[in-house]
Amino acid sequence: MWKTILSAVVSVALLATFSFAVWVVASHDYRWEAIAPYWGNLLSGWFTTLLVSAGALLLSVLVGALLTAGQLAGHRFPALLCRVYVEFIRGTPLLTQILIGYYLVADAIGWDSRFGVGLVVLSCFSGAYLSEIFRGGIESIPASQWLSARAIGLTEAQAYRFVVLPQALRRVLPASAGQFANLVKDSSLLFVISVHEFTMQAREANANTYATFEAYLPLVVGYLLLTFPISLLSRRLEQRYRYEH
Amino acid sequence: MSIETEGLTKRYGTTRAVDGIDLAFGDEVKVLAFIGPSGGGKSTLLRLLGGLETPDAGSIRIDGLAAPRGEAELRAWRRGNGFLFQSFNLFPHLSALENIVLPLVRVQGWRREAARARACEVVERFGMAGHLAKRPAELSGGQQQRIALARAMAHEPALLLLDEPTSALDPEMKAEVLDLVEELCHAGQRIVLSTHEMGFARRSADAVAFLSEGRIVESGTAEALFDAPQTEAVKAFLAKVMRW
Repeated sequence: MWKTILSAVVSVALLATFSFAVWVVASHDYRWEAIAPYWGNLLSGWFTTLLVSAGALLLSVLVGALLTAGQLAGHRFPALLCRVYVEFIRGTPLLTQILIGYYLVADAIGWDSRFGVGLVVLSCFSGAYLSEIFRGGIESIPASQWLSARAIGLTEAQAYRFVVLPQALRRVLPASAGQFANLVKDSSLLFVISVHEFTMQAREANANTYATFEAYLPLVVGYLLLTFPISLLSRRLEQRYRYEH
Repeated sequence: MSIETEGLTKRYGTTRAVDGIDLAFGDEVKVLAFIGPSGGGKSTLLRLLGGLETPDAGSIRIDGLAAPRGEAELRAWRRGNGFLFQSFNLFPHLSALENIVLPLVRVQGWRREAARARACEVVERFGMAGHLAKRPAELSGGQQQRIALARAMAHEPALLLLDEPTSALDPEMKAEVLDLVEELCHAGQRIVLSTHEMGFARRSADAVAFLSEGRIVESGTAEALFDAPQTEAVKAFLAKVMRW
């Protein structure tokens, strides 16, 4: 009974808030013609965001996996280094990391690709979060599974491959998908090193036309187009790897 | 099968789970049962014999072969045995069939088709042919334990180690599993088990050892130990567990 009431209250509150927001947004007086010359830039910005996010997504999985391996491999010093790395990256602003990465580190090694540096910094940043998700997933596999794997004679590597990782994968999917969506949105901070990604194009369109909402509203649609498929894919994979029932 | 241990000791922290155990069972013992109160060291002793733990002191010889210490040699030792746990421990992401096929292919080096054929044969013998494609969560406790038993014996282990195989099961399921274990005994499978099923130990075991506080209090043939226990500890234990 209380469950029905609770879900009714939540539904009404959400519907009301959502309708109000849509009504407010829709009833604004827009000057779409003002940003008409910038559609091309916005589109190219969207593709830049797509590319940098997709690249960073793949690379961040690698970074995350390496950091997880470093922490679980059983050697104290590498584990400590990985730990410090993760704490440092998670505890400091991405904005500063991007600035340091491009103007100090990349400059010192003579690398001058804003896009490339942005992609790598994003991967290092997101990889730190992913490594914590991966580590949590692996450590959540009960000791009895390890015992069973040893009892049938599997090596540790085989136990990871055939027993632990397949089960951990299913458990880390939802949180990883959330992190990937964050990664897409975090890429907007690459404007500080002038990567002409989606948000930067909107900022420029706004600066030139003062048509703020006309410039920024397309971001809503554009980012949803990138994050929603990640969410959908994650759900499909969760279904596929479901083994509880 | 001969099982000999000398001064076998295993500590966890300050607790001596197994405390200087000497066993000497000869070839005539095909089925050996450990009984006694929970926490008495039965599981630890089984794990030591099966190579899942290494002793802090003492030695183990099975059929004259000394149990190794290194991880790689221990793995080979475990490969020759079969182990069944109280809590099933099947892999939940794999079907019943895959649970049995995985060690045959990856550990025993069988070809996939041969492993599948063997898994089907064993599962059919265990009356579970209709459940091959199911995941563990779709099986009852007794069915899971029968699949786990199939996994433990599909490669025809020299020694099958059963750690309280029916403790987590209700009476009907207990019977299903014990029937199979008894059938394996009759088929000549050499088995070492820990159990709280006194009826089963008495009927199927050639030798029984009573463990308490990490030590062997008394051991002998099943008839001797159950019908004429020599020590007060065993008499008191049997009186208690047989009352209900």
